[in-house]
Amino acid sequence: MIYSKYVDKKIWATDPNRPTPAKLYTDGVEYFPVSRYVLYGYQFKSVAALGPIVGPIVATAFYGWLPALIWLIVGNFFIGWVQDYSAMMMSVRNEGRSMGPIAYNLMGDRVRKILLVYIMIYLIIITAVFAWVIVDTLNRIVGTFIPVIFILFMGAIFGHLVFRLKVDILIATIIAIIVVFAGIILVATFPQIQVPPVNFLDPKLGTTTTWPGSLTVLFWLFLLAIIYYIAASTPMPRFLLPTIFVGFLPTIIALILVIIAALFTPLTGLSMAQAAVKNLWITDPSVFQSGPIWPILFVTIACGAISGWHSLISSGLSSKQLEYETDARPVGGGAMITEGIVGLSSVAAVAILAGSIGAATNYAQGAGKLTSALIGISSTGMTLFYSVFIVVMGLITSMLFVRVWRNVAAELFEKSIFGNKHVAIIVMLIVMIFLAFTGSWTNLWIYFGGTNQLLAGLALLLVAVYLASQKRPTAYVFIPGIFMAITTVAALVWETYVYANFLFANKPLGPQTNVAKVFGQTAVQISNGFSAVLGAVLAVLGVIMTTYLILGYFRYRREKAKSA
Amino acid sequence: MKKEKKDNPLGALKDTLMGFMVHSHVTSLLKMKTYTEYLFMIMTMGDMLGMPLLPPYYSLRLLPYMVPNIKSWKLRMLRDRDVTDIVVG
Repeated sequence: MIYSKYVDKKIWATDPNRPTPAKLYTDGVEYFPVSRYVLYGYQFKSVAALGPIVGPIVATAFYGWLPALIWLIVGNFFIGWVQDYSAMMMSVRNEGRSMGPIAYNLMGDRVRKILLVYIMIYLIIITAVFAWVIVDTLNRIVGTFIPVIFILFMGAIFGHLVFRLKVDILIATIIAIIVVFAGIILVATFPQIQVPPVNFLDPKLGTTTTWPGSLTVLFWLFLLAIIYYIAASTPMPRFLLPTIFVGFLPTIIALILVIIAALFTPLTGLSMAQAAVKNLWITDPSVFQSGPIWPILFVTIACGAISGWHSLISSGLSSKQLEYETDARPVGGGAMITEGIVGLSSVAAVAILAGSIGAATNYAQGAGKLTSALIGISSTGMTLFYSVFIVVMGLITSMLFVRVWRNVAAELFEKSIFGNKHVAIIVMLIVMIFLAFTGSWTNLWIYFGGTNQLLAGLALLLVAVYLASQKRPTAYVFIPGIFMAITTVAALVWETYVYANFLFANKPLGPQTNVAKVFGQTAVQISNGFSAVLGAVLAVLGVIMTTYLILGYFRYRREKAKSA
Repeated sequence: MKKEKKDNPLGALKDTLMGFMVHSHVTSLLKMKTYTEYLFMIMTMGDMLGMPLLPPYYSLRLLPYMVPNIKSWKLRMLRDRDVTDIVVG
């Protein structure tokens, strides 16, 4: 609170009487003043997806709950909210412009183009990672699929009711709530309809793990691809918007419940069952391919501590609708702090589980156990509820990402065939299926964290360049920006090394053994080669971008010194 | 200018829920509606952009109905468009 007040008053000198872009450029579409509470809700919804849930689980599995907890708190308090808030303020002071035009104004076209390439790669990786999380949850928590189908169908029906038949939205919402919860209760009550079983197309693979390269995974991935294709290619009111609305109904309840349950653990008697500190350097490739705690921990937990995606949201829409400059702190900073709390509840959910953890399904089990102890509903039922929550959150976000990809491709490749909406969507879905089907997901998660965190570092450095150009203090963004840039480039280089190492040794990474068995080692080699090249490209782009921003920063600092 | 007003907790909760559940949908639908309106504006008022699609007689007959939208139309047409704006929907 004290730090955020200091930044707000002393560095940005926010003034409620200075007109914001929402008031200056009101157009009733993007630019119009909105209550800070509405914007806070919007900002939180836009930044909190699966990131603050899965990252802490993976980090707890890698290094123990204590390092995860420390990074979530320190990262959020000193870097995370700073980035969200500062990106929003930078945009507010630049007529509500988003990151791209600001980068162009301050640094030129090359920096803007690199930023765009980064965003494109980011979209592919995040969709592939979330696809794996969804597939793993659908496969391993039996019965999840049926309530999800209820939600998807209800989404389509809800759209028809509201937009075509003009049914009152309250009545339509009540119908949606009944149908959504009926689906969950039905499956939880009747175990005989909990289908399909784990690895149902590959009975030889057992029932404990989801294996990349298996037919079951391929089946789920194709199903996801069909859903994403429909969501991205049809008009938004027909499927995407109503499905998001219906999907958020159980989601908001699940989020509130797990946070309350995590806070009430002293009363429910649950305690940490995982080790506080497990490893500082993971070297066993048969388990995880993570590596040293620095830099891997700092990219494994992205959202919750700091995330580059947030800077795009803060500067993309929220800044255009901020009623008063002083609202930026509760909207940008407040939403980020709330996301940190979601991350902490995720650590609590998996840390109470005994034994091996490391997947989103563990979150469902942990959150099920936490909330079951609080409200008295059976743990199995609550686990099913939370597995539906994970899948729906992943689906909603990924459907939006595929749609965004389609729009970005249409804008960038206007005159080429890749600008065609069907081609753009299909290309993305093929890459998504390839990465999720053949990859080692923990490594893919680190790539996602790497691109996300580097985007955050670049956003912080861009804010530093802007503040330097305005002759304002810069240390509070420049130092975290440099830290994030170095850390994430190091993580990307490490991951590239891991993939290249296995590529040259002609060996599969731990979870890729099934891919090698089914499709041969060549498929694994192609996957590892692709991943190594991708990692190298990301690292090189990151270094170039960071160098440009640092040079730009010192150029503005020199100008400031001269003018003084 | 900012008025000092006490926030009603129930109203704040309602607004937060509104923001969480529907604000992005409202913005998306507003954008869709506006793009359709702009298409109509281009067809009828294309002369302003050097694209005379309708004979001026009809454009002039429609002008009074278009006047309220012309300012925001010009603002949006002249504003920078960037991929990072599209990313947020």
